[in-house]
Amino acid sequence: MSSALLLQSLILGLLLGGLYALLAAGLTLYFGVMRVVMIAHSAFLILAAYLAWFFTTQTGLDPLLSLIITVPLFFAAGYGMQRALLSRLRPATLTMMSVLLTFAIALVIEGGLGYLFSGTQRRIQLGYSSASLELWGARIAVVKLVAFGLAAVSLLALYLLLKKTRFGQALRATIQHREAAQLLGIDTDRIAGFGFGLGLATAAVGGTALALDATIYPSLHWHWIGPLMAIIVIGGLGSIPGAAIAAMLLGVTQALLQIPMGTTWAQTVFYLALFATLMFRPQGFFGGRLAQRF
Amino acid sequence: MSEPLLELRDIEAGYGRAALVLRGLTVTVPAGQIVCLVGPNGAGKSTVLKVASGMLTPRSGTITVDGVDVTRNGPQQMLRAGMAHVLQGHSVFKEMTVAENVGLGAYTVRDQAAVAERTDFVKTLFPVVAERWHTLAGALSGGQQKQVEFARSLMVSPKVVLLDEPSMGLDPKTTATVFEQVVRMRDAGLAVLLVEQNARRALESADLGCVLDLGKVHIAGPAADLLADPRMAELYLGGAASRLEEGKAR
Repeated sequence: MSSALLLQSLILGLLLGGLYALLAAGLTLYFGVMRVVMIAHSAFLILAAYLAWFFTTQTGLDPLLSLIITVPLFFAAGYGMQRALLSRLRPATLTMMSVLLTFAIALVIEGGLGYLFSGTQRRIQLGYSSASLELWGARIAVVKLVAFGLAAVSLLALYLLLKKTRFGQALRATIQHREAAQLLGIDTDRIAGFGFGLGLATAAVGGTALALDATIYPSLHWHWIGPLMAIIVIGGLGSIPGAAIAAMLLGVTQALLQIPMGTTWAQTVFYLALFATLMFRPQGFFGGRLAQRF
Repeated sequence: MSEPLLELRDIEAGYGRAALVLRGLTVTVPAGQIVCLVGPNGAGKSTVLKVASGMLTPRSGTITVDGVDVTRNGPQQMLRAGMAHVLQGHSVFKEMTVAENVGLGAYTVRDQAAVAERTDFVKTLFPVVAERWHTLAGALSGGQQKQVEFARSLMVSPKVVLLDEPSMGLDPKTTATVFEQVVRMRDAGLAVLLVEQNARRALESADLGCVLDLGKVHIAGPAADLLADPRMAELYLGGAASRLEEGKAR
């Protein structure tokens, strides 16, 4: 393997890892706030990608502008979904039932997309779709850099929101000790709704980033949910920094393995890492001190 | 006895559709005093605090704070009415600093000048809070975490502090420190309703005591009198309520 190819794979892995990190952050937020396993997260990701594609084909504008609509829309949908559906599940069986409920939501979204846009594969054509930069012999597509930039900015915004704002502190308190948060006057139900909305807003950003560089079709979400679930388990359920670190590591490993093994087999790294984690450290690699921090 | 600041009268309460835990319980907390609830496991001590902080709505009976009926209030309204509840075990936000924990105590307070003033007050009352201000709360010892919880609860200038087994899981030396802090809260003018398994140690710090069993108050009076009561020594400082009832009958 040439050094240029290795460097290219490494950079592509980091760029992909950034996107994984954003999406996994959303997924881990749901679990942190409510102990909900949100199978429909990647379905919303694909829905956002379709909305970006639809926006661009209808208006001719850059798909990034669709975020002005999709981010608030997804936030509101997440809030509504938590308050109207998930908060009604019995606490004793919440995690298990949330799998079933969100699995059903994923199927509804997939079916709706198939009905509205058919099963035909779609791809956004942009003026800069084929543009690339050369770095020490490695070719990096501009759309991948844009997608990474979007993910990085969103993660930074999420970090600042959780760390520096009153809402963020209330959300972190709710995640860490819900009863104590309630006794301090925090409306934990409302905060959990906002937390869910925030998680779904990350799917809006991720889906738009994905649409820049991927061919999309209604059932594509099944391709994403496995790796994302593996990332949050490996990172330690409920730990956003853990999910981000695991996402970057696995993204790079996947990209490096793609060269000798091909795309399909390279993806097995997520499942092998998941098996290894469950066998040797079931709480995840960052499930201790790092869990719930951020 | 001075006028009650908090009064729970004829309270009946339970969880879900299960049987009642509190069965016609009446407890009063006068201003500036420590009232200690003691009794065997399952007597309903922690449930009293949950009812008083709005976490559990009573099925019947009334709760008044300063004469105002707050019976149907939820936790947020109870906080506004002046109730601050410190939970059993450790309830600090472990992955947040002491400063963030204490700051969240004033979550409902909008007046920043009042928050600053209150922060100074709790730092003075609990020096360890000031010393470990920037430390992650989870890195503190059990006793220090408990003091952070006390400080956090005082950020809203409560009228009554509800303390649920503050000595749970602490060694004797740390327990002594925690009880000293409870007394300091009382000396600072607060009323305290204290639930404690360590009955003797708690009654030594309290002004008034109530002995609970099966959801009712069986004996109430000055804490010193309860400590001197031979029935207490035999029963609740290591006995069972049913035997107390037998004693009463005789």
